[in-house]
Amino acid sequence: MESQEKALLDRKVRKAFQVLVLQRGRNPGVKGWELKRHLGRDFRKIVQVLSEDVSSLGLEVFEVKGVDGTDDSSRFLLRFRDSPTITEAETSGIRIDDLAVLAATIAFINSKQGRTSRRETEQFLREKFPKWRVEYSLDRYVKRGYLEQDDRTLLHIGWRTRAEVDEKTLMTMILSRGADEVPSPK
Amino acid sequence: MIELCKSVERSSANPFDVDIREKIMVLKKRLPEWKFLDELLLDSEAMLELAQIVKLQDEWLKHRASSLYIDPLLIQLKVKVLPKDALVESFVRSWHPIVQVDQISPKGLEKAFVYWRDLGTMSERFKDEFGTYGVRPGTIGYEELIELGVFTGDEFDKRLKDLMAELAAGSNGEWIDYRAFIHSDSFEQTVLRAYLLAFLISDGKASLRTDPLTGNIWTMALREKAGGVPKSVAISVIGEA
Repeated sequence: MESQEKALLDRKVRKAFQVLVLQRGRNPGVKGWELKRHLGRDFRKIVQVLSEDVSSLGLEVFEVKGVDGTDDSSRFLLRFRDSPTITEAETSGIRIDDLAVLAATIAFINSKQGRTSRRETEQFLREKFPKWRVEYSLDRYVKRGYLEQDDRTLLHIGWRTRAEVDEKTLMTMILSRGADEVPSPK
Repeated sequence: MIELCKSVERSSANPFDVDIREKIMVLKKRLPEWKFLDELLLDSEAMLELAQIVKLQDEWLKHRASSLYIDPLLIQLKVKVLPKDALVESFVRSWHPIVQVDQISPKGLEKAFVYWRDLGTMSERFKDEFGTYGVRPGTIGYEELIELGVFTGDEFDKRLKDLMAELAAGSNGEWIDYRAFIHSDSFEQTVLRAYLLAFLISDGKASLRTDPLTGNIWTMALREKAGGVPKSVAISVIGEA
């Protein structure tokens, strides 16, 4: 009986991994209601077991809360448990300069209580980055979900930033750095 | 009131700058005066905008109460003075990239094939939005100019003769500066003189010499019509119409 339960659990954990890792639709991850459909009502327990299982691979299952805060609206996704090194980030195909723009943009939006006009953001970023890079990077990050731009051209933090970036750590890191500080070795 | 609320919504201004209580009192006081549907619709729109401001105030308070709230000026100053490398390192240290597998299924492949097969040409797709494409810049002939009414046949001949006389008097057997010769008070007249002179040169009544190194161009009236194979020279005339 116990072995049957174990086999069922293993099967569900495998299913959860497959559902989470294969992209369905435009955005990565799976909504709570979808996991419930695949794994049953106790999907949270399965997800927790999976998260422990993949930790040996340096991964974790992360939950991004939805607007209404319910299980159904939450988005679950697999992500790196620890941050990558700068060298790993460079090899992922993202330009380091683009990451600097994203870091500055997230910090700026947070300093403006979570929303700011696109024009104001561009003006701020242009003091540090070339105009073409600012416009290109902002468009790209809006498209990829790191930032959100509404019909009034206000910029907000996007769902992807909420999923991938520990904003509190980012803000603390930025504040704790000295201007003349040399970055640590890669 | 509507515009004030919208301007606060569109910017990162403090939503508490809008005095909700005062605005609602104004709306309440004015409500009995509204008689027409348009006025009532505007009144309800104002209420809706005030509700949006209350929502913003709620978000504002939540953000300030969260641990993410830091003095805006301090964080902006920090971002300005930090080197890019430090910004990148701060980001990477707080970054947990999402893991996913991108693949295309046979069904997706079929969908893509059908999409590309049925996709119209660019000109067809954007016809409604941009209309048909305009005519590209090209050349216009003497006959067409007469047809368009820019010249009459007599007028054109007379202008050519006048310009030839002017060039003959100006050059007097010497090379003179082309640009100085065609220059006129208005850009339109300059272009017209360049156009007429091109006719004289093509006809062998005048000649043109260019120096590719300096970019200088000279012209001269010829006493006898030139023979030989004519050569084409492209000269830009720059100015504002």
